[in-house]
Amino acid sequence: MSIQTTHKKLTLRIDGPLAALGRISAVAGNTLREAGRNKLFFGLLGVTILMLVFSILLSDLALADQKIRLVTDFGLAVIPLVCIATAVLLGAVLLYKEIDRKTLYAILPKPIRRGEFLLGKFLGLSVLLFGQLVVLTVCWAGVLYLRGGSFSLALAQALGLSYVEILLVTSAALFFSALSRPVLSGVLTMGVFLIGRITYVINDLMQATKGVFAEVPAMRALGRVLVALVPDLSTFNIADELQAGVALPPDYFVHATLYGLSWVGFFVALSLLVFERRDLV
Amino acid sequence: MTQQPDDILALDHLGKTFRVGFWGKKVQAVRDVSLTLKRGESLGYLGPNGSGKTTSIKCILSLIQPTSGKIRLFGADPSDATARARVGYLPEAPYFYDYLKPTEVLDYVGKLYGLDSATRKKRIPYLLDRLGLAHAMDRELRGFSKGMLQRVGIAQSLLSDPDLLIYDEPLSGLDPIGRKEVRELMAELRREGKSMFFSSHVLTDIETLCDAVCILDRGEVVAQGRLSDLLRMDKLESEALVDLPTDGQDAATTRLLAVAGVELMEQTGAMLRLRLPTDAVPGLTAAVVDVHATLRELSQRRESLEELFVQRAVHVSTDGQRTVPASRSA
Ligand SMILES: Nc1ncnc2c1ncn2[C@@H]1O[C@H](COP(=O)(O)OP(=O)(O)O)[C@@H](O)[C@H]1O
Ligand SMILES: [Mg+2]
Repeated sequence: MSIQTTHKKLTLRIDGPLAALGRISAVAGNTLREAGRNKLFFGLLGVTILMLVFSILLSDLALADQKIRLVTDFGLAVIPLVCIATAVLLGAVLLYKEIDRKTLYAILPKPIRRGEFLLGKFLGLSVLLFGQLVVLTVCWAGVLYLRGGSFSLALAQALGLSYVEILLVTSAALFFSALSRPVLSGVLTMGVFLIGRITYVINDLMQATKGVFAEVPAMRALGRVLVALVPDLSTFNIADELQAGVALPPDYFVHATLYGLSWVGFFVALSLLVFERRDLV
Repeated sequence: MTQQPDDILALDHLGKTFRVGFWGKKVQAVRDVSLTLKRGESLGYLGPNGSGKTTSIKCILSLIQPTSGKIRLFGADPSDATARARVGYLPEAPYFYDYLKPTEVLDYVGKLYGLDSATRKKRIPYLLDRLGLAHAMDRELRGFSKGMLQRVGIAQSLLSDPDLLIYDEPLSGLDPIGRKEVRELMAELRREGKSMFFSSHVLTDIETLCDAVCILDRGEVVAQGRLSDLLRMDKLESEALVDLPTDGQDAATTRLLAVAGVELMEQTGAMLRLRLPTDAVPGLTAAVVDVHATLRELSQRRESLEELFVQRAVHVSTDGQRTVPASRSA
């Protein structure tokens, strides 16, 4: 009676970038699978779809020429927000759950590097959020169609930039979840998001000759620090320009994407640094 | 690498201090543990709860960083994934993703080891079947008993056909039948030539599983060496069963216990169970003849691991000092 199946040695493929990619995608797949069982995720998705449908009724209240505009505005504002809320909620527990449920202890002793594990978690969540964005966009396009509008390339571009913003918030969530416990990391991620959305306002206020930023030097210093530390998320929101019919230069999208991805790279690198040396007790 | 090629695991003055609470109070979980495990050997890492076994194992697997000392796993640092690839690890009270089925857990693990899908397809059902999980292969883990989870844990530890098995408390939390089964399984793996490093705080059923032991208490080694060496010293003790004569039993008992070194262990009716140093046997036999008693049985006392454990561990925890002579820790 013997336990082993193989009498010849098994081949383990653990060296090289391909093997690493295999491990990252295994972790990503499992992350996706876990999120796919998350009630919160589906709850949020369901409620948002209902809201989109509800925006049809809402638009009936609007003036005839405003109907399409209302549905468009609503979708462009709500869809990214919902995806970001999901990123914050799931991102905050991304690593904590694995530690808390001790599932990590069975996985990390395997021939996987911690960085690969982290990238896998990030990738899994990113794919999930992409799926969420696509599902919501499809529903929204349906609603637009019912209202007599149509889904345009400009709208697709706007949502594409939103996805960059979503990735950025996810990477911030990853970093904070590598660093601290869920509630704190959720709060910190929300902080980055909220401040990120209004940095341009802070900037404007600092340029102004009146107001608290001009008059109180301490506030000015604080404003500078915030603006420097937090990504400017307004970069990824072009709804106003779309509505105003302002044409953005084509390289705006390239630049905005590069700007966003640099922040993603920065947060992911920081997370790797923190997670690599952390005691998993 | 200066070490012997057949040293597959070496701890060199391993120490781990945790900092807890707001003030960063130090907790020394492991202090100055040195040991080596050679290929094909089985080492029991023993000690009461909280003695530092799990902490040491987490260091060996690079889950935590030692604060002092060094670890070599297959001649490399534990942070080296290639070295860890040769280890099969069973965590203490293993937890896996409870929304997965055993086949899915093993498939995930197999991917991390870079096993191709043909191998996974063949090996996973086989292992699960061998571990008696065939009936539960397609059920989610959330309803599994502790014993079943332990088996999933063992199955995943064997998936990559590792050279070294590191099992943290493989027998704890199981019912008697489960313990027996896991014990037999481990004995089988040992016969197959796997090297083993396993921890336990219960001793009765592991004596037969290991060649050597390292006994910890409060993070420190209190006894270490081959089981046969550690227990042999205590063969210097003997045990005697004596039937007292029908009259004058009290006087006879007094006379027997007056022999230097003899201790009464228990008395049942006219029978005494005595414990004595082996070199006091001639004195005792003379006294037995003297009082017209009968020596029913005389045997060498072989201390059990449990007694050794209690003797040393309790020693340390009562006065808080290392009292084991250097000669005893080989
Ligand atoms: N993360 C931690 N922080 C602080 N103390 C810890 C931590 N983990 C373990 N300890 C302490 O270290 C000691 C050894 O624990 P452990 O290695 O789990 O023992 P064992 O596995 O032998 O039961 C205990 O006193 C325990 O309280
Ligand atoms: Mg333990």
